[in-house]
Amino acid sequence: MKKTLKRSGLALISSLVILGVLTACGGKDPGAGNNTTASGAGETTKAGETTAGTKTGSESTFTYAIAGDPGANVNVITTSDRFGLMTLKMIYSPLYMYNADGINYFLAKSIDASDDNLTYTVHLRDDVKWSDGEKFTADDVVFTFEAMEKEENVGWAYSQLVYPEGSVKVTKVDDYTVSFTMPVINAAAEEMLSQIFIMPKHVYENVTSFENNEVNSKPVGTGPYVMSEYSAGSYVKFTKNENYFLGAPSIDNIVYRIIENENTAKTAIQSGEVDAWIGTPAQVEQMDLKSNNLTVKPYQEGRVGYLMMNAKRMNDENLRKAILYAIDKKAIADAIFLDAANYDLPWSFMPPNSEFFTEDVEKYGQNLEKSKEFLAASGNKAPELTLAYSATDSIQSTTAILVQEQLQKVGIKVNLTGVDSTALSQQMKKEDNSYDMYFGGYIMGIDPDTFTSLFESGNSHNYMHYDYPEIDDLFSQGRKETDKAKRKVIYTELQKKLQDTACFYPLYSNKRLLVVSDKIAGIEEAKLVPVYTFEDTSKLKLK
Amino acid sequence: MAKYILKRILTAIPMVLFITILCFTLMHFAPYDAIDAMTNPRMSQETINLIKAKYGFDQPLFIQYIRWLDGLMNGNYGYSIVTKQSIAADLSVRIPNTIKLVLPAYFTAYSLAVVLGLLAGSRKNRATDKLIDGFSSVGIAVPSFWFSMLLIFVFGYKLKLLPFVGMNSVGMESSVVDFLRHYIMPFATLVFTFLPANIKFVRSSTLTQYSEDYVLVQQAFGASRREIMFKHVSKNVLLPVVTRLGMALPLLVTGAIITETVFGWPGVGPYFIKAIQGLDYPIVMIILVLSATLVIIGNLLSDILYCLIDPRIREMG
Repeated sequence: MKKTLKRSGLALISSLVILGVLTACGGKDPGAGNNTTASGAGETTKAGETTAGTKTGSESTFTYAIAGDPGANVNVITTSDRFGLMTLKMIYSPLYMYNADGINYFLAKSIDASDDNLTYTVHLRDDVKWSDGEKFTADDVVFTFEAMEKEENVGWAYSQLVYPEGSVKVTKVDDYTVSFTMPVINAAAEEMLSQIFIMPKHVYENVTSFENNEVNSKPVGTGPYVMSEYSAGSYVKFTKNENYFLGAPSIDNIVYRIIENENTAKTAIQSGEVDAWIGTPAQVEQMDLKSNNLTVKPYQEGRVGYLMMNAKRMNDENLRKAILYAIDKKAIADAIFLDAANYDLPWSFMPPNSEFFTEDVEKYGQNLEKSKEFLAASGNKAPELTLAYSATDSIQSTTAILVQEQLQKVGIKVNLTGVDSTALSQQMKKEDNSYDMYFGGYIMGIDPDTFTSLFESGNSHNYMHYDYPEIDDLFSQGRKETDKAKRKVIYTELQKKLQDTACFYPLYSNKRLLVVSDKIAGIEEAKLVPVYTFEDTSKLKLK
Repeated sequence: MAKYILKRILTAIPMVLFITILCFTLMHFAPYDAIDAMTNPRMSQETINLIKAKYGFDQPLFIQYIRWLDGLMNGNYGYSIVTKQSIAADLSVRIPNTIKLVLPAYFTAYSLAVVLGLLAGSRKNRATDKLIDGFSSVGIAVPSFWFSMLLIFVFGYKLKLLPFVGMNSVGMESSVVDFLRHYIMPFATLVFTFLPANIKFVRSSTLTQYSEDYVLVQQAFGASRREIMFKHVSKNVLLPVVTRLGMALPLLVTGAIITETVFGWPGVGPYFIKAIQGLDYPIVMIILVLSATLVIIGNLLSDILYCLIDPRIREMG
């Protein structure tokens, strides 16, 4: 026995030694961080736990749990995933943000259009400095947009700046004025130029690949914060930019903590290890918000969840209408999102928070009698249909079951097919797919024109595969018309027409639920926006 | 002896090559990739084709394979399609983190299992045996994610004794105390995960040895229980047990996928899971090849170990 004990003791000791060696090595990992500007990193190393959201010594920190690693190669040209964009929003600034309620200026002071509506002149702020002290000028803007328009860079905004008729021409007028000339009249031009972050020309000038280079890990920006530390798979830490042009931020550090497991994240927000987190209605329902000093802030991202029918398989309009009249979307939304505060009901393809949204369309409110009439008119007494949905998406899975049950009542049998989400979207693109109906969702832009790719006949993203020239016609009219009132008329007509086809049925516009600690103030001023969560983190405060 | 080892190593090389071909073609036959997963209606088909061409998806299969294999040989593992990061750089951060967690946990579980397994085996069907065997039967049935959530709920949330997210608190990378506080729960989970199967293994090996004739002979000669156990049985029991170590080699990369994901440990686990979900094939392929290669090396190691420890096999070779 003694011998065995000795042996296991040895094993223990040796494993501890190995652990020690590895820990020591870990500290020197080249990829683990970039400590060039890590001013706060060393100072906070005090004994004991740094509890999130509290002030340790003189430093205040706000910790936000995110579900994925943004990576160290975040750059303004190719980064397009949510967490990467959230990181970009901290370090860089766009010319302006274009939201459902209008323009919010950042690096630009104003934008005006020429009389022919082709040239847009942007006036820039002249008091902005990059975080390395260099002055921000029109050269940086021209450099960024030109890089975005180069085909080989595969920038995320390529298709909104380069059209079949040519690309947007970017010209420096003077140091603080830039003009953008569109190849054709596009009423959504202002939106097309928004949300693109400006990168410093003097840093990226000699970079050949924006994705992989030396400078991405030491970003120089104009945003409210500076990236001070990146720890792969663990967190990204930002320290405040004292020279931020809209005023120095109030909170010293913001940390994006990477927690991929949602149950762990849910426990972490309740125990106070993080201060903010995005949850689902069902998860929030299970939480004890009051005793943990948490508040839920639902906010609209302009998402529309829909039911689409494949017009190539469901070519009988009466049958399609029979289905739509049998569905009760309010009952579905209530069952899934639990509280009316967590969703809006859309009635057309536009999200309800858009200024072009209209309720003046055929709503297909549940009416079983009408449904049965249409079913009889279709001559198909007991149709059997296939409904496809993403099996890993709990919202879609529940919706599928509810729709199946509702259609049963009028005698329509629905076979449910749960598939992988990527497989589903690939199938939907094919005209001859084997599904009659499917679920999906989109967050498009603010302007109705950004929805063209989904609803134009023959477009590769039109999953209904219908052929309605009058819809295509209305889209192209709307794009060319620059008078707002006239556009509103066109798009109201368009929304009506689209509802009449009975191929597309908007189900719900669910909100994102931000669960946030009561210690955090200034959320209204920082403004909750799609994708980035906060429009300007500099306005957040700690109580 | 040396000849035997050389022969084994030489046969391992085509095996590894075969595995790379298998991984690559299987991945190629998957109908969708990361770019399909990333596309949205705001991207035009041309943009999608452009991105595909950029990652070489438009080339014929064998050219893609040769380019990939060439990269593997030169330590260029390629780039993640989703985050655009160099996979080699990512893994060089993540594998050490996983090893830090798995290696000590496995050694602890292994040592405990040897003690408990021998104890149980030598007291067959008595209270000690029933207790230990019962524990390992229950332990095998307990899912590790459930056990870790339980730990988090009790020690992290209710008692607020231990942090449960990540490996360090922010800005405290150099603090050993902080690291150890983060370390306790995932370590305990892993020990608990590795322990039961190892106990069962040692126990059954002990039982087999006790039924051998030489034990009966020793008993007839009047040897004490201690003598039989430590002089004879334990040596023979440890033979298969030591070789089991070799088989544990791939655990160093993929041994803690679930535990790491639950605790937000920045190791290979969350990285691998995210890559699978996002259809980020370059990462999935590398990790598959890596762990498959470790299986082959592990087997090789245990064969060599066996050969070194057991004179009977050495003679045969």
